[in-house]
Amino acid sequence: MFAVFGGFQSRTGALRPAVFKKLLQRDQPARGPSRGRWVSVSNSGETVRPLEGIKVLDLTRVLAGPFATMILGDLGAEVIKVERPGVGDDTRAWGPPFVGSESVYFLSINRNKKSLAVDLKNPRGAQVVRELAGMCDVLVENYLPGKLQEMGLGFDQLGEVNPQLIYCSISGYGQTGPQAQSPGYDSIASAVSGMMHITGPEDGEPVRPGVAMTDLATGLYAHGAIMAALLQLQKTGRGGHIDCNLLSSQVSCLSHIASNYLNAGKEAKRWGTAHESIVPYQGFRTKDGHIVVAAGNDKQFVQVCQVLELIELTQDPNYKSNKLRVKNRKKLLQTLSQRFQQEKTADWLRRFEGSSVPVGPINSIREVFSEPQLPLHQVWI
Amino acid sequence: MFAVFGGFQSRTGALRPAVFKKLLQRDQPARGPSRGRWVSVSNSAGETVRPLEGIKVLDLTRVLAGPFATMILGDLGAEVIKVERPGVGDDTRAWGPPFVGSESVYFLSINRNKKSLAVDLKNPRGAQVVRELAGMCDVLVENYLPGKLQEMGLGFDQLGEVNPQLIYCSISGYGQTGPQAQSPGYDSIASAVSGMMHITGPEDGEPVRPGVAMTDLATGLYAHGAIMAALLQLQKTGRGGHIDCNLLSSQVSCLSHIASNYLNAGKEAKRWGTAHESIVPYQGFRTKDGHIVVAAGNDKQFVQVCQVLELIELTQDPNYKSNKLRVKNRKKLLQTLSQRFQQEKTADWLRRFEGSSVPVGPINSIREVFSEPQVKHNALIQEMKHPTAGRIAVPGPAVRFSSFPPSGPTPPPLIGQHTVQVLRHTLSYDDGLISTLLESGAVVQNEAF
Repeated sequence: MFAVFGGFQSRTGALRPAVFKKLLQRDQPARGPSRGRWVSVSNSGETVRPLEGIKVLDLTRVLAGPFATMILGDLGAEVIKVERPGVGDDTRAWGPPFVGSESVYFLSINRNKKSLAVDLKNPRGAQVVRELAGMCDVLVENYLPGKLQEMGLGFDQLGEVNPQLIYCSISGYGQTGPQAQSPGYDSIASAVSGMMHITGPEDGEPVRPGVAMTDLATGLYAHGAIMAALLQLQKTGRGGHIDCNLLSSQVSCLSHIASNYLNAGKEAKRWGTAHESIVPYQGFRTKDGHIVVAAGNDKQFVQVCQVLELIELTQDPNYKSNKLRVKNRKKLLQTLSQRFQQEKTADWLRRFEGSSVPVGPINSIREVFSEPQLPLHQVWI
Repeated sequence: MFAVFGGFQSRTGALRPAVFKKLLQRDQPARGPSRGRWVSVSNSAGETVRPLEGIKVLDLTRVLAGPFATMILGDLGAEVIKVERPGVGDDTRAWGPPFVGSESVYFLSINRNKKSLAVDLKNPRGAQVVRELAGMCDVLVENYLPGKLQEMGLGFDQLGEVNPQLIYCSISGYGQTGPQAQSPGYDSIASAVSGMMHITGPEDGEPVRPGVAMTDLATGLYAHGAIMAALLQLQKTGRGGHIDCNLLSSQVSCLSHIASNYLNAGKEAKRWGTAHESIVPYQGFRTKDGHIVVAAGNDKQFVQVCQVLELIELTQDPNYKSNKLRVKNRKKLLQTLSQRFQQEKTADWLRRFEGSSVPVGPINSIREVFSEPQVKHNALIQEMKHPTAGRIAVPGPAVRFSSFPPSGPTPPPLIGQHTVQVLRHTLSYDDGLISTLLESGAVVQNEAF
């Protein structure tokens, strides 16, 4: 009645054998017409997705890793999400809000994955994962460097069994180096990497981006790196170890801000919504919200003045060129700010239509999802 | 003396033929030992073959999102041919100060590992050059307003006919179709429209934008992945296709749980400064000389915070016993902690937190970022020699692979630095044809090089 598994004797738990039988009966091939959800896409060539046939063993938790593996799943990969029994991915408990018993946070980034609940601390559980790694193309993990090695699931160990395995590690600061053992938190990485220093009101305190862009950028780098490794595998026949981390991702994204410092010794500062070298190029309060105006040249500045019915500004010698507007920004922005506050956002947007000035509302989340440009939402039942 | 090209008569420009001859003499296969820059990487071991070796990318993008994506493709070994309009080139070449010599530091930061081909797309002969290149390239990336390249005969349908395997990646503000498709893509505006600004800023203050254009950068990151996905798909299907990346979609997708809160529970987002809505204390604090971020996610870590701050009484306060209670009574608690943090310097606090399990970190200025030992360890300061600017440094690649070493990058190109090289080696044009094109102004070779 109790099957033998890989040489290990099974042990009775609290469950009765009949329950195991029932669990095993699930996932048998369906008889009769397949149910809509499980219909396989016909591979006539046109509908083959880029990562069809690729198996991803996903040992990541929280945001950066799951975000990356979700995109791989969207691209057609089979993603097997390994979760510890009971708690699972930490974000399953994050809320409110919950929908029923499901954390809305977890729901947002875990579609297109299968969940395998395995106790890695149990040698038999680790063995399952080891065997899976032998059959998968990609493994993604975000443990502290060295932790998986302790369980026999490190890159060197699994690479021996499966030299073609692409092993993508996501961490806070990198696989090696003085800070490698610091756990990776988006808030901290955002601070250490300079992102917070450059974000916030002009004369105010630093803030963090309202969603964990450091985590997300790392996930985006990782999803690309994994596909790069898949392409390289075809040339070399070998996998390899990929090192993605929050610090490197965010510092790389500093791009020109970093370049200013590295080449010209120029430190960055906070600018609110404004632009250091273009005026007016920022958000303004309106009667009922905010609008962002990006007047990048003199012609657009004139149009702004026309829409605002402040024609006199176009004659003011202090504002004739962008350079002058930057020089005299305080006074000009004060004038424009006062004017913008007199009408509603929608009215301003309407008045700017037909001009060549880029403008847009600062949308709340509700307003974002009312935007007509967002494609008709997809409903999969 | 003037060759005929594709039926078009060449016209004399201001340049004398002798100058053209000089331009053409550049880029001849070197005699004798090859110059370092043009030595091809030996692939005999297989080990040092980079993922995108052999892939040709025709890069028609400008500014940030596109060039950022193609730079990463170049880092991964692709040959990136950057098409720029003669004279001005990529807009960011003019963005500054700061400049290093005559080079915009903005441009330098995101344009390594690319060749520059200066082509006038409005000139039919220029457009023809690009059309022929598209026939020989694996990937084309562009960020024109939807429809603009079509007008020049360089749209996806048109080029796809010539090269059905072409992967054509379009980057725009809002998408290739739809009511806002014709709005130009500015990071500031997209950041506002997509909700990013609404959720960023001080708790009781005005919205702000992320200090670097994360919407643009996220789009570039989505694009670089999408292009490689299409390369993988090409192998299965034998066909390329059109990829639609845009600022709006990239940023909205990145809203992840913030969006999910609204879509599933009707919960609107608000701004939190550096703080966390549901964990306290989990935010930045002013110190005597800067700021520190503390992420005390559980009760044990909260106790350690109190110990380090020498505010033991807080651990006995029933109002702060659990995270739930700390969230409820956050104002008072954060006030107390804030006052205490301001009494010492950041470095002192960091030292005192060592050995505890509380995640902490300084809010680093850019100067401080590049003094971090881990940043140096991760090779995030990439130095290279630029032909006119001299020694330059840019932020290095974010990802490291054990399967290939980071290669010495080629510096960001001067405008039109590789025009003749590309025409000769990629398109196999003969000297006569190249002369004609140069004379007509359809293409321009950088003379300084």
